[in-house]
Amino acid sequence: MNDPSLFQRSGRRLDVEGVWKAYGSQPFVVRDVTFVLEPGEFLTLLGPSGSGKTTILMLIAGFETLSRGKIRVDGRDIVGQPPERRNFGIVFQGYALFPHMSVLDNVAFPLRMKGVGARERARQAGEILEKVGLNGLGSRRPHELSGGQQQRVALARALVFEPDALLLDEPLGALDRKLREQLQIEIKEIQRRVGVSVLLVTHDQDEAMMMSDRIAVMADGKIMQIGSPADVYLHPATPFVAGFLGETNLMPGICCGLEGDRVVIRFRNGELGRAGIPRFGGRPVPGDAVLASIRPERIRILKPDQRADSLIEGKIVSCAFLGRHARYVIDVGNQLVAVSTTDWSETSALAPGTRVRLGWLSEDAQGLVDQHPRS
Amino acid sequence: MARSDVGQMSPNAGLGRILLFAACIPILVLLVLPSLIIVPMALTKGDLIQFPPIWISIHAFTDYLGDPAWVDSTVLSFKVSILAVAVGAVAGATAAIALHGRRFPGRNLVAGLIMSPIVVPAIVLALGDYLLLSPFQLIGNWIALAVVHAIHVTPYVFISVQTSLTVGLSTALLRSARSLGAGHFSVFRFVHWPAIRPGLLAGGILGFAVSFDDVVLSLFMQGPNTITLPVRMFTAIEYDLTPKIAASASVFIALAVIGLLVHSLGTARRTAA
Amino acid sequence: MTSVLEAGPRHVWRRWTRPAFRDSLWLLAPVCLLYGVLAVVPFALIVRFAVADRGEHFQTVLRSRLLMRAAANTLAISVMTTAIAIIIAYVLAAGLWRARSGFRQILLAFVLLPFWTAVLIKNFAWAALLQDNGVVNTLLQMSGMTSAPVTLLHNRFAVIIGMVHYVLPYAVFPIFSAMLAIDPNIERAARSLGAKTGSVIWFVVFPLTLPGIYGATVLVFVISIGFFVTPVILGAPSDMMIANLVKYYVHELVDFNAGSALAVLILAAVLPLIMLQQSLPREGRYGAV
Repeated sequence: MNDPSLFQRSGRRLDVEGVWKAYGSQPFVVRDVTFVLEPGEFLTLLGPSGSGKTTILMLIAGFETLSRGKIRVDGRDIVGQPPERRNFGIVFQGYALFPHMSVLDNVAFPLRMKGVGARERARQAGEILEKVGLNGLGSRRPHELSGGQQQRVALARALVFEPDALLLDEPLGALDRKLREQLQIEIKEIQRRVGVSVLLVTHDQDEAMMMSDRIAVMADGKIMQIGSPADVYLHPATPFVAGFLGETNLMPGICCGLEGDRVVIRFRNGELGRAGIPRFGGRPVPGDAVLASIRPERIRILKPDQRADSLIEGKIVSCAFLGRHARYVIDVGNQLVAVSTTDWSETSALAPGTRVRLGWLSEDAQGLVDQHPRS
Repeated sequence: MARSDVGQMSPNAGLGRILLFAACIPILVLLVLPSLIIVPMALTKGDLIQFPPIWISIHAFTDYLGDPAWVDSTVLSFKVSILAVAVGAVAGATAAIALHGRRFPGRNLVAGLIMSPIVVPAIVLALGDYLLLSPFQLIGNWIALAVVHAIHVTPYVFISVQTSLTVGLSTALLRSARSLGAGHFSVFRFVHWPAIRPGLLAGGILGFAVSFDDVVLSLFMQGPNTITLPVRMFTAIEYDLTPKIAASASVFIALAVIGLLVHSLGTARRTAA
Repeated sequence: MTSVLEAGPRHVWRRWTRPAFRDSLWLLAPVCLLYGVLAVVPFALIVRFAVADRGEHFQTVLRSRLLMRAAANTLAISVMTTAIAIIIAYVLAAGLWRARSGFRQILLAFVLLPFWTAVLIKNFAWAALLQDNGVVNTLLQMSGMTSAPVTLLHNRFAVIIGMVHYVLPYAVFPIFSAMLAIDPNIERAARSLGAKTGSVIWFVVFPLTLPGIYGATVLVFVISIGFFVTPVILGAPSDMMIANLVKYYVHELVDFNAGSALAVLILAAVLPLIMLQQSLPREGRYGAV
């Protein structure tokens, strides 16, 4: 998290309250979305395509009209303002650089719209190009630059006029993986240095985890959970969030009781296990259908003398060595469970067919209420 | 992801759009007005062209259909244009297939040459063909005229087939057919033909209209028995604007409407697919 | 499948290249035959007729006052037609671009109907509309703007109207294509950076449509030069254009040599324009990202 005393916080507070959006008579694509973007904060709207995240960005930017709700900047309602009056810097998918203008003219464009004189424009644009690492490229045309460079021009153009917030619409989608990771670090760095608030829209959860102060996980137009990367990863509120961030095993069962801060679950195969009561999200009640969510890296294949809070038995189906870790798939009777472990060597690898016991610590699992139980 | 159209920019843009469409309306009226008044003009009782027509009568149409010279011209025009489209379609389609997907230096030049009849003044072609055909006594021969028309038709078929090939056929498909042992004819029948059919139809109809409407070429190639309908009308208009001309003009209007309808249906089906 | 797998790379190479190449040559035969016999040979004939008698016919043509008149007419009329048509076409293309899908189809039909209508018919209709007792004059008199019929027909005014009407579809489509090629996010980007509608159009949309405008201008100009029917039906004898002059030489004066010389001159004027049009920046290339 940013320490407010070390870095300058700039930007204004953006309030999105109870926003709904539907196109014509079609079903709502954004349902009752509420969140706050604090000055200097990096907030990501994370979700699959169709979850409404880009629509929210467009609503904030002013390119779409709200069906219901309010959007405020520093308390002031901006709903009546057209996009050209709102003070947001936007990086679109595909960057939308002006192909007929040089890089410098692209970056200087917003200053020109504000009436800044030519020499001053060039100076400011040159400055920000240096800040993003593109000095010397001012006279080139966008199509002469690489994808990563174009991305940076788009960023420079969005930052040069000191916007209230930076809105990024899947800016790194078209780039290859190494370049993406490098740019993620750079964008985060620029954001820290400049201190501007950022609202990022993406479906890439690694990206979200890497760059965000907080993540809002979205599906079907609703926000499922907002929290820090650690919160949403380690303490998912719903099975969807658990499954969307990283990989998790969801094991169906019935809640038979609560012991302190633990949920006791009877799984389909009759065995009992324990999981933590979710820190966020719905609290299961005895009789509820629940899903125990355990990340593959938190389940261990127990050695014969090891014990654990909860354990189930199963048979190894496959084993794959993935470099950083090995991944076992184990059949526990009515479903497959993935276990990820670094404890692997060519000699000690367990062969398919071996019977094993899987164990986990109950605080590493969440007992999540199952909203769509199958009978 | 439901995104709105380009037009939905911001609330202020709404006014701009209204102004834009308002400016377009008189233009659109002027565009279609001439085409729309032809048939009503032909329904007049008098002997002068009037619009709006004073009394409704179909005597203009009976005059037109009862005049053997005019009927002959109509039939001739159809004959010539059908043959012209047949020849032009072969030339245009084969050229489009030949050039499809192939990249070689000068390809754009070849394509440009094939398309040149659209921009080169028709009078040059008319004169040249007159000089070529008159020593052979072919001036006045309707088949010769049709083949000359075919030059005018070819570029339209070419570009139409080229478009439908680019959309409907990939060279990868072609190669896999060949690698599976298909001979040339089979390749054509099963790979090329389905892909060029829509383009052939669209280009053929457009080419028919272009050939049917032609004045310059037909004027130079005319013989005593080879006067196409447009040429006859052209000479008649130079002297007098009678309702008979309007009646025969209705043939053209019918053609234009049919052509437009078929073309629109074709595009609609393509976008729906 | 087995034939490709079993054979070696050289065999495959031979199979791909040779038959394919031969095929394409064979396929180009019809168009080569058609154009060769009925376009290339006639062109050669025209040149032969034109340069006969050591260029004397060029002299005849170039000295003739008729040529001065026809060339001046052609230039003036073509320039005016092009200018008017491009402006109107830009407005139409913009309307098409901003229209929503269903409405756009209707607008397209309006633009295409004259395209499908024969030039003869269009001119005939304009003649009927512009004549002394035609619709326009009737409306003018009814509204009280004039008291007697205004001569709107058989003059340059009518010719330009007829020509603009003809070339409008040809002008609209290159401009419309250029507009379609603009990434919709670019407009949004400009707006988000503080540009009001006027600035968006002036700084972003208009420059990106320039390739379309250039293409349309050259296309319309070249087409205008070759006009034959319209000047005859809608113009006066003094509005004769260059194509009419060729017919005059051939049919009235029966001077094939002079007619050919003139045809060569026309081609010499048109060819550079056509080449210019081919080498213009296309939309998409200019706006490539």
